[in-house]
Amino acid sequence: MSAKKTMTLNLRENEMRVLEELSKRKDMSKTALLRQALRMYQLVEARLENGDKLFFEDEQTKTKAEIMML
Amino acid sequence: MTGTISPVYLLNVERGEQEAAELLDVIAERQLADWEGEWAPELFRAMQRLRRAGVERSQWPQSRHWDWRKKTVALQQGILAQAGFSIVCDGLTQGMMIVDTTMKRCRIDSQQGRNLVYVEYVENAPWNRKELFNPPRYRGVGSILVRAAIALSEDLGFRGRLGLHSLPQADGFYADTCNMADIGIDRDYHNLRYFKMTPGCAQTFIMKGRGGGGTL
Repeated sequence: MSAKKTMTLNLRENEMRVLEELSKRKDMSKTALLRQALRMYQLVEARLENGDKLFFEDEQTKTKAEIMML
Repeated sequence: MTGTISPVYLLNVERGEQEAAELLDVIAERQLADWEGEWAPELFRAMQRLRRAGVERSQWPQSRHWDWRKKTVALQQGILAQAGFSIVCDGLTQGMMIVDTTMKRCRIDSQQGRNLVYVEYVENAPWNRKELFNPPRYRGVGSILVRAAIALSEDLGFRGRLGLHSLPQADGFYADTCNMADIGIDRDYHNLRYFKMTPGCAQTFIMKGRGGGGTL
């Protein structure tokens, strides 16, 4: 696997709290969680640019809500 | 496309000895050219032999329709959510694998919702498949690729977790050689069997590899 580069990330306290909560819940380090977020964000952007839509679906009612990405 | 090359060893079945090979963390144009120019004609001839020998179509290679050029489109576009691996030995591509790192999550209760590396496609060169060539040319391709998927899972912070839907002809390899947990038939995915590798299974498989190597 290719070499990694280091960067400093500045987060607000509430952002850091969310990052810590998510990394604990997902059993991942903060770095691993942010790398995963980057992969997902790039994938979503590519699919949207390709004309696809992103939805959340309620499993019971099957109601769909489209996610509007900025 | 360039990637990282790691030295690995395959078992040369005819000579009965290990042979140096390369594990690449890419599927490059060269691999696709090998698939088109070497794998496809060999697979065609092997299926012709099966047909002439009266072997039922259901016993033919279940991946025979796979088009690696189409399967690698996202890789060529640089989508990080997918990763490709290949093994080269004796100047030829011996196996290829594509994994996804974002679209699937763990299904078993103890790991519910945790991220994993999902093996989308993995295939051995036709001459390495014992159902087509007796004896096969090289053994160990499948195990090395599964170990590469585990290493990626660890690098991404997924602790070695893997998941995959297996074609029936490969069920035995994932269950017996890889010791993956058999979650059962997935009615929502072509009725294929779903296998899961837990962090514990992954460690066991890696340790086993250090002691000998796989057999696919």
